[in-house]
Amino acid sequence: MRAGVAPGIPALSERVRATTPRWRRPALVAAAGIAALAAALVTGLAFGSVSIPPSDTLAILAHRLLGWPVAVTWPASSETIVLELRLPRVLMAMLAGGGLAVAGATMQGVLRNPLADPYVLGTASGAALGASLAVLAPLPVGLLGLGFGQLLAFVGAVVAVALVWRLSRASRLGSLTGLLLTGYAVGSLLAAGLSMAMVLSGAQLRQIVFFLLGSLATATWQQVAVAAPLIIVGVLILAWRARSLDALMLGDETAAHLGLAVARERVILLAFAALVTAAAVATCGLIGFVGLVVPHMIRLVVGPAARPLLPLAAVFGAAFLAVADLLARLPGELPVGIVTAVIGAPFFLLILRRVRTGYEL
Amino acid sequence: MDRSPLPNPSVPRRKGLFVPTVGLAVALVTGACTAGASVAPSTSTPLTASASVVAATPTPTTSPSPAATQPAFPLTITDDEGTAVTIPHQPNRIVSLTPASTEELFALGDGGLLVGDTDSDDYPAAAKALPHVATYQGVIMEKLVAAQPDLVIAGGDGFTHPADVTHMRSLGIPVVVIYAATVPAVLADLRLVGEAAGQLPAASAMTAAMQSRMDAIAALARAEPTHPSVFYEIGVGPDIYGPAQDSFVADMVVLAGGTPITTGDPNSYTIALEKLVVADPQVIVLGDYDYGTTVADVVKRPGWEHLTAVVDGAIRPVDDTIVTRPGPRLADGLAALALAIDPTLVLPADLMPPPTAVPSPS
Repeated sequence: MRAGVAPGIPALSERVRATTPRWRRPALVAAAGIAALAAALVTGLAFGSVSIPPSDTLAILAHRLLGWPVAVTWPASSETIVLELRLPRVLMAMLAGGGLAVAGATMQGVLRNPLADPYVLGTASGAALGASLAVLAPLPVGLLGLGFGQLLAFVGAVVAVALVWRLSRASRLGSLTGLLLTGYAVGSLLAAGLSMAMVLSGAQLRQIVFFLLGSLATATWQQVAVAAPLIIVGVLILAWRARSLDALMLGDETAAHLGLAVARERVILLAFAALVTAAAVATCGLIGFVGLVVPHMIRLVVGPAARPLLPLAAVFGAAFLAVADLLARLPGELPVGIVTAVIGAPFFLLILRRVRTGYEL
Repeated sequence: MDRSPLPNPSVPRRKGLFVPTVGLAVALVTGACTAGASVAPSTSTPLTASASVVAATPTPTTSPSPAATQPAFPLTITDDEGTAVTIPHQPNRIVSLTPASTEELFALGDGGLLVGDTDSDDYPAAAKALPHVATYQGVIMEKLVAAQPDLVIAGGDGFTHPADVTHMRSLGIPVVVIYAATVPAVLADLRLVGEAAGQLPAASAMTAAMQSRMDAIAALARAEPTHPSVFYEIGVGPDIYGPAQDSFVADMVVLAGGTPITTGDPNSYTIALEKLVVADPQVIVLGDYDYGTTVADVVKRPGWEHLTAVVDGAIRPVDDTIVTRPGPRLADGLAALALAIDPTLVLPADLMPPPTAVPSPS
């Protein structure tokens, strides 16, 4: 019991703890999230558009990953499917889902806007324009296993956010309003460029459409190796700065009074959220709803504090997208963006109902 | 319209390249002549599905030329995207990702080697029964790998997603990408696929027969006194889709004896109604007939009623698939198109398309 608190009255943290149902405690939620992640990994490896007996899947993993001396009784194609297609695909889904959820939670906090998502400041239209330009002018350029389109999508996303940030500083509106409106304006301009590219693309339109819907079907180990460091480092830095996010959510003035370098922290948070988003979008296309809905789901359960929110968003975002991708490939490769929206939209409606009962960002 | 790869609008070419040149025909025919002699026993009946193509063709008799003999495996060939593809051994599990190459492999008698195709491969009927390892959305990579192919034929110009091609190659599967924007390129692709499948002599014989048949059809069509302006309707709904300038379909119309009305832009397949009215086609060929468009629909369209073709009733359907699919039935397609453009054209029996190729307008 701290000094300054009247005897007999528990400290705030004690009271919060006492009034929070046991199942809402972050540690328990985290345990559930990790269990969900493990389940998603197992089912993601076990199921797909081709059926492989579970015993074969287990034996392949034991044989190739753990080096156990198991007699090879399965066709070589099963090994390729499990190790070269499903495993990198599940890992890519987890990286992208976790990254997008953390980026979304960060954007919502920094912009103090529950409708914000990882794409709100132009990353989506920037990446889509980059990818579509690569479709219009395909060059045999690649880097680290990424194709020309993926490189341009990454560059497009990063450049779009940088442009929005730079332009918003000239705005005389309040910094947040200016940022959001600039993001909207730049996004609209880039989207017009995307529409033009789609008109000009002729027979190649299909490629652009599938980028816009998002897919994990082309995930490879090389792409995982490129995206993993960017996303993991970005997420760790964001989670490390949870205190800044909490302070920013109180308002710029209050945050400044708390001793926070508001402008600097905001740039750092936005920059790493944009970096994580760009890495996810470049490798998987535009996957919607993960970054919007998962943070809200976590807030509903554990409350708005960023310190538990960000890591939990990472875990649940990863599990959510891995499951969504599994559902997408079972009927034979649906774009995963459709599945995330089909699952995500009803959740979001549920959240909107909860808003009336006192839900806060 | 048919899902065969559209001609690449970005590839510049000389127009009228296919107006029949005897020299070209002779060169190809001679290639086939010697090729025919070296056809392996297993391929002595090379055409099952499209027997009419070869059976109807007079045996070419010309001077000797370099023999089209099948190079031995391992074989490295350069595909239409310039990629050197090494095929380690005679393929016996082939996945075909374009309807045209599926047709060809069946026509060469290699249908039994196919272990997968796409869900838009509809000819011959046996192609529909194969496992479909790709859809409009792309290759279903798990299914493709499970088919254990030792050769994949893919379509260029985005027909097979470039990312899927890269992915398959990264898994060690030999992928030959074919793409033809011209009629000679179609024939070259048929030989390339034949070579990749270890069937170059049979494929060469097939293409030589196609070439001589197409030359004969084109010569008869060109000998007609008039060459009406032709709008080949790819689709209307609500934009009007027709052949891009210098595109494959436009070339087919030239070969078939017409003067093509194109969009005027090599990159665009849509034409404004105003432009179509100004161009005033004398004949409208309904490439979209198989997809539900009827002559009555065309007549009822506002703004079309004064077109010469509509006034004269010169609106005729054609089997779009054989006209636009760059496969072994292309000579049938040319004959069908020539008859759609000019129904009074008299073709010898050996040049006639199968009856289904010229639908009777309803």
